[in-house]
Amino acid sequence: MGVSGFAYISPSTKEETLTVLSEAGEKGRIVAGSTNVLPDIRARKIAGCILVDISHLRELKGIEIAGDTVTIGSLTTISELLQSAVIAKEAGVLWQACRCFADPLVRNRATIGGNIANASPAADGVVPLLALEATVNVESKARGKRAIPLDEFFTGPGKSVLEPGELITSVSFAKTSAMKSAFIKFGLRKAMAISLASIGMVVGFNGDTIARVSIALGALAPTPVRARETEKYLAGKKIDDEIIARASELIKTEVNPISDVRASRDYRQHLTGVLFRRAIEAALA
Amino acid sequence: MEIMREITVTVNVNGIPVRAAVSPQESLLDFLRYRAGATDVKCGCNKGDCGTCTVILEDRAVKSCLVLAAQADNRRVWTVRGLEKDPLMQALQESFATHGAVQCGFCTPGMLLTAKNFLEHNPKPDRAEIKEAIAGNLCRCTGYKKIVDAIAAVAASRTGDRA
Ligand SMILES: Cc1cc2nc3c(=O)[nH]c(=O)nc-3n(C[C@H](O)[C@H](O)[C@H](O)COP(=O)(O)OP(=O)(O)OC[C@H]3O[C@@H](n4cnc5c(N)ncnc54)[C@H](O)[C@@H]3O)c2cc1C
Ligand code: FES
Ligand code: FES
Repeated sequence: MGVSGFAYISPSTKEETLTVLSEAGEKGRIVAGSTNVLPDIRARKIAGCILVDISHLRELKGIEIAGDTVTIGSLTTISELLQSAVIAKEAGVLWQACRCFADPLVRNRATIGGNIANASPAADGVVPLLALEATVNVESKARGKRAIPLDEFFTGPGKSVLEPGELITSVSFAKTSAMKSAFIKFGLRKAMAISLASIGMVVGFNGDTIARVSIALGALAPTPVRARETEKYLAGKKIDDEIIARASELIKTEVNPISDVRASRDYRQHLTGVLFRRAIEAALA
Repeated sequence: MEIMREITVTVNVNGIPVRAAVSPQESLLDFLRYRAGATDVKCGCNKGDCGTCTVILEDRAVKSCLVLAAQADNRRVWTVRGLEKDPLMQALQESFATHGAVQCGFCTPGMLLTAKNFLEHNPKPDRAEIKEAIAGNLCRCTGYKKIVDAIAAVAASRTGDRA
């Protein structure tokens, strides 16, 4: 594979890409916006592989609505999501998250498919999609098409059920224009900060009673997670200070954060309750 | 379609096609500095954090250390020196000078390109929007205030209109 250990191929259609990926097997490495791949190559976390460049595949770009379902092509950039009136209206939680994503220059390159495949526990595109109960649409020569609930997609930091040869083609979810949304990212700086903790929330109210709520948390466990117990507790409740206080205690028991250079486990656990409170207040406002 | 150890690319740099054989993992930043001689594009961190390597790729400001050179094949790239005669760029450069928005100058080419691209898409920004727009461009000297002043002054003078 040459001195550098890298090779490059740039298929011109999705079909060609699937063929290339199936032939390359474990050696194949998809490149989309390359905002993770290039730094990883430089840090020698990636070596000796065939870079399969999909960045120019128009088939994988764009946002579509069919009936009640919104589908985002995997190569859609974070900037494109921010500029989309459809996303602002039908997926408020995702739109808000895109505003906190990296910085405007990175957003011009970073794709939603790359954010999902990269499988970071802190991924700012994934947390809102989890709250939207999204499905990841995947394709390969070996297994054909698979629709994987995002909830079942991640298996650990940087790990997912995606197999060699599989390409994420899109991600889809139901419209949420009738619901309230909130996304809050807590980082050490405003721009370009990895989330210490993040929360995405989608709530349907019936008057002042919670009809339905989904809550996703980032950087608080080995993968982005749903706060299922808190969701159950809140469903059917009339929202008041007492309920919010109890839920913000409960949600702390649902996370399993790490201690690292940015913050301790205790601090992250504390943050979970604080972020929950802020998010529900933002959703109510 | 073939698997390549070396890719021959042609990148249009400031209006001039530059052709070279690049390695698969080569960045657009290295291509610009070492093959196209565009040393006005700076390398601060080489990992996406600082914004000194900012260029305009087609219509978008990007960090060139995060783009594969191969991905820029047949694309247009603009750096500061190619925009010498661009009226909006001239206005920004003058404004940076008069507002004291340049000290060591290392961040300046990237900062100017980000500002130009931003004002083209958003001709009447408020200060908060300007600050957000330059969030990916770090400056160790000025404290940003003078940079924001300089960009705001250009926006106010409406030179930002499709010049
Ligand atoms: C300075 C900086 C700041 C950042 N800030 C943030 C931030 O605030 N929040 C955040 O969440 N992330 C952040 N990131 C990380 C990164 O930008 C995102 O994860 C981005 O969405 C990755 O998308 P990409 O298209 O660049 O992926 P690439 O780098 O091209 O690929 C990433 C991974 O996904 C795989 N992949 C890509 N596309 C597909 C596909 N369609 N199917 C299957 N596999 C695929 C690749 O093989 C690779 O393993 C930041 C990165 C940098 C450099
Ligand atoms: S050199 Fe590219 S962002 Fe620092
Ligand atoms: S002027 Fe020195 S880094 Fe900005």
